[in-house]
Amino acid sequence: MSYAYLFKYIIIGDTGVGKSCLLLQFTDKRFQPVHDLTIGVEFGARMITIDGKQIKLQIWDTAGQEAFRSITRSYYRGAAGALLVYDITRRETFNHLTTWLEDARQHSNSNMVIMLIGNKSDLESRREVKKEEGEAFAREHGLIFMETSAKTAANVEEAFINTAKEIYEKIQEGVFDINNEANGIKIGPQHSPTNPSLPSGSQGSMQGGGCC
Amino acid sequence: MEYFKSGLKSVLGTPQEGLQPTGAETVERLVDRVRSSTLLDDRRDACRALKALSRKFRIEVGAQGMDALCQVLEMDRGDCEIVGYALDTLCNITASESFEDEEHPHLSPTSVGSLGEQFTEIFIKQHDNVGLVLGFLEEYDFHVRWPAVRLLTSLLANKPKDIQEIILVSPMGVSKLMDILGDSREVIRNDALLLLIQLTKGNANIQKIVAFENAFDRLFDVISEEGYADGGIVVEDCLLLMLNLLRNNTSNQSFFKEGSYIQRLAPMFNLPPEGDDTGWSAQKVSNVHCMLQVVRTLVMPGNPAQVTMSSQKAMKACGLLEILCGILMASGVPVDILTETINTVAEVIRGNHGNQEYFASVMAPSNPPRPAITVLLMSMVNEKQSFVLRCSVLYCFQCFLFKNEVGQSQLVQTLLPSSTEVANLTTGQLLCGGLFSGDSLSNWFSAVALSHALVENPAQKEQLLRVLLATNVGSPPISLLHQCTMLLQQGSKMQSKLGLLMLLSTWLAHCPQAVKQFLSIPTSIPYLTAQAGSNEHDDSEELVQGICAFLMGICINFNDDTVTTFSKEKLRQIVEKRLGLETFLDKMGEVSKHELYSKAAKHPQLRPKQPSELLLDHEFCRLFRALEGMVVRALSSKPHSDLVNGSSEHSLLASENSLLLQYKELIREQDHKLQELTQTTERLTVEKSTLQREVKDLKSTLSQLRDENMLLRAQANTGLGQTTSGNTLGREAFHMLEEVRAEARRWKEQSEQKDSLICKLEEQVKSGVVSDLDTQLTLKSADQTIASSDIERELQETRQQLAATEEKLAELATANGEIEKMQKDQEDLLELLTDQDTRLNQLKAQLRALGEKVDDDDDDNDEDLEEEAEGCEDENSA
Repeated sequence: MSYAYLFKYIIIGDTGVGKSCLLLQFTDKRFQPVHDLTIGVEFGARMITIDGKQIKLQIWDTAGQEAFRSITRSYYRGAAGALLVYDITRRETFNHLTTWLEDARQHSNSNMVIMLIGNKSDLESRREVKKEEGEAFAREHGLIFMETSAKTAANVEEAFINTAKEIYEKIQEGVFDINNEANGIKIGPQHSPTNPSLPSGSQGSMQGGGCC
Repeated sequence: MEYFKSGLKSVLGTPQEGLQPTGAETVERLVDRVRSSTLLDDRRDACRALKALSRKFRIEVGAQGMDALCQVLEMDRGDCEIVGYALDTLCNITASESFEDEEHPHLSPTSVGSLGEQFTEIFIKQHDNVGLVLGFLEEYDFHVRWPAVRLLTSLLANKPKDIQEIILVSPMGVSKLMDILGDSREVIRNDALLLLIQLTKGNANIQKIVAFENAFDRLFDVISEEGYADGGIVVEDCLLLMLNLLRNNTSNQSFFKEGSYIQRLAPMFNLPPEGDDTGWSAQKVSNVHCMLQVVRTLVMPGNPAQVTMSSQKAMKACGLLEILCGILMASGVPVDILTETINTVAEVIRGNHGNQEYFASVMAPSNPPRPAITVLLMSMVNEKQSFVLRCSVLYCFQCFLFKNEVGQSQLVQTLLPSSTEVANLTTGQLLCGGLFSGDSLSNWFSAVALSHALVENPAQKEQLLRVLLATNVGSPPISLLHQCTMLLQQGSKMQSKLGLLMLLSTWLAHCPQAVKQFLSIPTSIPYLTAQAGSNEHDDSEELVQGICAFLMGICINFNDDTVTTFSKEKLRQIVEKRLGLETFLDKMGEVSKHELYSKAAKHPQLRPKQPSELLLDHEFCRLFRALEGMVVRALSSKPHSDLVNGSSEHSLLASENSLLLQYKELIREQDHKLQELTQTTERLTVEKSTLQREVKDLKSTLSQLRDENMLLRAQANTGLGQTTSGNTLGREAFHMLEEVRAEARRWKEQSEQKDSLICKLEEQVKSGVVSDLDTQLTLKSADQTIASSDIERELQETRQQLAATEEKLAELATANGEIEKMQKDQEDLLELLTDQDTRLNQLKAQLRALGEKVDDDDDDNDEDLEEEAEGCEDENSA
């Protein structure tokens, strides 16, 4: 499939907050209650549409465990978007957000869009972190915020797509240098500025039938 | 050398005549200067000199200078020149190979080899040192960046695991290395490639980070810049790095697929047009070989099925499979490339139906045009073809048949007698030809290829039984199974025998009919028994014995006892009495103990180095593993039923015999009864069906009647509705009339009042009250006249209204007449309905008598009707 843009995402946050489940729900539309511990980093991809444009999301799901922190840091630099996830039923995962955010800000490019996600919103009875607290944290640090449930799929789609929308807007505003691939953004093969005269639609359909 | 000497002189001063210092002494003095000189220039010169000596006096420089050099890296990092010298020196002392001019009189050659490793160990003891070197990668100066890359490469070569771990945990370590790949200076870029190849070996985490840092894009860019397959060794390096990133790394494989990189592989296989004599350089062969490896890594049988399937699909969609098939059929392709291409095509189509179908449709540009498969098989059964090529064709054919029922049946179909004349050489004929040829390798290939048409396909096992061969002119045709058995018995060559045994095992497993046909050949079991019981102790002879035992086991396991001479029990007795259970099981056990068994079982592709290693097939090993336990169980444990079934009547006692006869009689009786009962059942079924038909007819009449009834009811309802509407009309008119009357009364009263007032006034006028009132009176009377005229108008209107009301009343009277008429009609209809009901009841009674269940609500019909009628009357009265 051809695409107009390709965005690289990373998913970060404490271990067990549901990062891999969010990715699985987004890419495969299924939920796996018992998920193996992520070792290092795992890859997933999906195509979405924003503003009538095909956008390919490449997502690297990182291990939350401290032991892998040095490995996962290598992924900050080349990502255009990050999903910072905590678990609304475990207060400490919320408390660690500051550390995560510092780490991300330090190693990533300054334009990286960060979406704060309070996951497991289906477990209302065991909630330890109020929605307002998440909103306040996001406001304070200039993040987008959402509560999701990888189990019921509530808001999962929105979380990934809204992040992409934000990145897309930043591109439109000229904030991102789209020719620098280190930003985690790539222009689709037929959209490269070398042949801007070609109408994107017809080109795209000609190239179809490839992957996915 | 002169330059170095002059350099030395300038640093050390001119040595005294006749008192040459030893290398060690010189190094010592230089190290001292590097460490303690206060002037940067002095340190720099000393460092340059150390670099010059670091090849010849490697041990000395390494042993004494390591700390000083690290100190330079740390303290003098601002000066590119001295850092460059220090890095170069470190490169030399940690190099894994030795230098020509190296001098180390006291060391044995073996310890020289480990010198680089030892110095590496010393260098990385201080983890920060590696971090320092990584830091120098960010320095653009050629004299710093280049040696930094080379130093890291040589450190990696000596201590790969340690360096990988250090780089992985140093911040942005891998990313810094990836940036070097974009260096415009080719030397640095190429060395960075070599460094990354070392770095990514066997470390999945680094592989993923490198891929994340857009490695695939950059590599494809370099490859296309260098001219794809025609490029130099850099292309090969790029491909080697790509292989490292993909091999056994599922995450990267799926990233490769998702990133549409498979599409970028396709143009790499474009071959020069026909007639181009530029030929295949050694480098081109290596490049294409690596490209094929990259393709294979994505579709290897060991990969997760999801990755393999989606990659196969993408390869077909982007035309890669087509291009590869083109190479298969092209001329002038070197044989090892051709072999590897066949293997690659094999894995691209393996288990993927669409791709297998495409492959079957590929035609070779021969005259007459033949399917590519046929041409390939011709090579497989051709003694003159290279051995590896023949092996790859088998692999390709086996992948073509893998999970491909259509392909399997088409192959068998070519062997079955058909009405259409087949002019062309078919795959089946080729394989049969190979099976009966004098070349034992061809026998083996053909037998195994044919066995793959039967894997997990019971239908084809039975179909193949129908194949007949005309061996000699005049003699009757003989079945393929029979012929194979004959060949097995006549054959003397190990390879042919093993091939045939594997074919027979696959054929007979799970197919009682094949077992039956095999057992009907009188010599088959005696042959197997003799082989299994033989005592020769040749390595591969034991394989034959073991598989013969296994085949006997299959004959026992899948025996339907139709061949009485070799029934299950009889075969079991043969095993026990002639061979001994222990010996039998030992022989069978030899198969799985064989060295080649574990090799073949591991991977679908056989990679024999020489023809003699080609004995066992992967699919056969899987079959053996699956059935081994079953055969052992079937032999060693004796179920009770066997005792009864197996013993003949003769061995029974007389009493038992009579008992048996009684039972037989009983069974016969029961049989008879059963037959009778079956007949009765049949008769009853027929009766039942006729009854059902009748009931159905009745039902339809009933429903018809019900419909009619409904219709009538509806009509009746409409009739009632009409009367009601007439009634309401009357009621409305009546209301209006009443209102009008009341109004008229009111007006009358008012006019009477006014009349009296007028009278009074007239009297007052007459009695002649006050004259000045006259004018007022006249005015008043004028008012009065106006008022009275108003009243008169109103009265007139009222009268008109009254007339209209009267008219309406008259209409109502006629409507009432109509209502009466309708009521009469309704009564008639009700009468009709009652008639219908009685008829319905009669029918129901009839149905009940016939045993058909009649819906209860039908009974309520009458009541319903009555209720409805009552409802209508209620409305009327209201």
